[in-house]
Amino acid sequence: MTDSPADRVARFVDDLLHRRRPRRFDATQEEVEAMTAAAGMVSARVGADLPDKAALDRIHRRLAATLDESPALDRHVTRRMLLRTFGTAAAAMVIGVGLDEVVTRQGKPPAEAGGGGSTVLMPDAGAWRPVASVTQLPAGHAMTVSTGAIDAVIVNDGGAISAVSGICTHLGCKLQPDDAGRKLDCPCHQTAFGWSGKVLYYRLKAEPASLPQIPSRVNGDQIELFVV
Amino acid sequence: MVSVTELRVVGSAEPDDVRGTEAAVYPDWESVYEDNVVGIYQLVFRKVGNAADAEDLAAEVLMQTLKTLRLPAPVHNVRAYLVKTARTVLADHWRRYYAAKEAAAELQQVPPDALTSPRNSDAAERAQRLLALLPDHSRRILELRFLRGYSVREAADELGVTESNARVLQFRALRKAADLELEVLR
Repeated sequence: MTDSPADRVARFVDDLLHRRRPRRFDATQEEVEAMTAAAGMVSARVGADLPDKAALDRIHRRLAATLDESPALDRHVTRRMLLRTFGTAAAAMVIGVGLDEVVTRQGKPPAEAGGGGSTVLMPDAGAWRPVASVTQLPAGHAMTVSTGAIDAVIVNDGGAISAVSGICTHLGCKLQPDDAGRKLDCPCHQTAFGWSGKVLYYRLKAEPASLPQIPSRVNGDQIELFVV
Repeated sequence: MVSVTELRVVGSAEPDDVRGTEAAVYPDWESVYEDNVVGIYQLVFRKVGNAADAEDLAAEVLMQTLKTLRLPAPVHNVRAYLVKTARTVLADHWRRYYAAKEAAAELQQVPPDALTSPRNSDAAERAQRLLALLPDHSRRILELRFLRGYSVREAADELGVTESNARVLQFRALRKAADLELEVLR
């Protein structure tokens, strides 16, 4: 099969967009440049470049195995310390599974712009994407949703629907809704945000930034977010 | 376990607990790992664009550093060393799997202080700035593909071109984006 640089790079991009490990091939310098640019573009999706708990677990297991194979390393780092370290870090990185994570990928053209509420995450070009039905989010509840491009938390506060980023502004851990406390907990560093995105408390050297708000609306029986 | 009383409630933060990282020291691997594992993962993800490779490469960076780094060491030095190691590991990746001879030059763009601001907003802002600098047709194909998740066929339909032309358009747009990144944004 003969294919052109454009075909090979398109295949590489397809793999990235489908979150697969890309197929390997001998690339020209021009192709490598294009592929690196593509990696940068994929990383621009909010939350795309953050590891999940399983990935962190595997990384820490590999490091522990490295120590097993290299006893000489114990001179400056003991295995027990490493296991304690990674045990702590891995436990801190527990990421909750979202309630009925909704992934939509409608290929529809951009709808009318607007929505307001935020200048932080309002993209130049985007579209309203349905993320959940109204019935899935009763009053007094928050739930995590993903559009594939963005991780968000949608909130029903006494009938008023709003949305904020679902990613902690400190190190990017995924937030977990705590409906009883009307807050969003970061599992990594004991930080919590209110439903409006404001920081409630934190255990860090400096206060993290508030969560960016995401334009939201109710359209029929669907809750929609304005995302790129 | 940390009790709630130890948490800092907004509005009553004690300023004397805020320290600059420049003068700080990593006493052990616990602090190096906790402070940097997510940042290293993000750094390499932004150069390879997929989670499977990013995980392998982040682990490799940490393993190589673990074998050679002596602690305690200043935070600034440790992070600079991690970034340097990441560059080498990334260059090896492109060379091994894509026969790239000059990937190292591309990676010189990774600044030594890359781990001090690992937030995703950097990558998003960078992409938006790049897109804004591209000619219309180049920007359009990249927006459709990367920001809206269109397939090549859907993007081709939207642009009124053949699939083959859309692939060529995408390739050229990415090349332009790479050139711009080197020339304008560094």
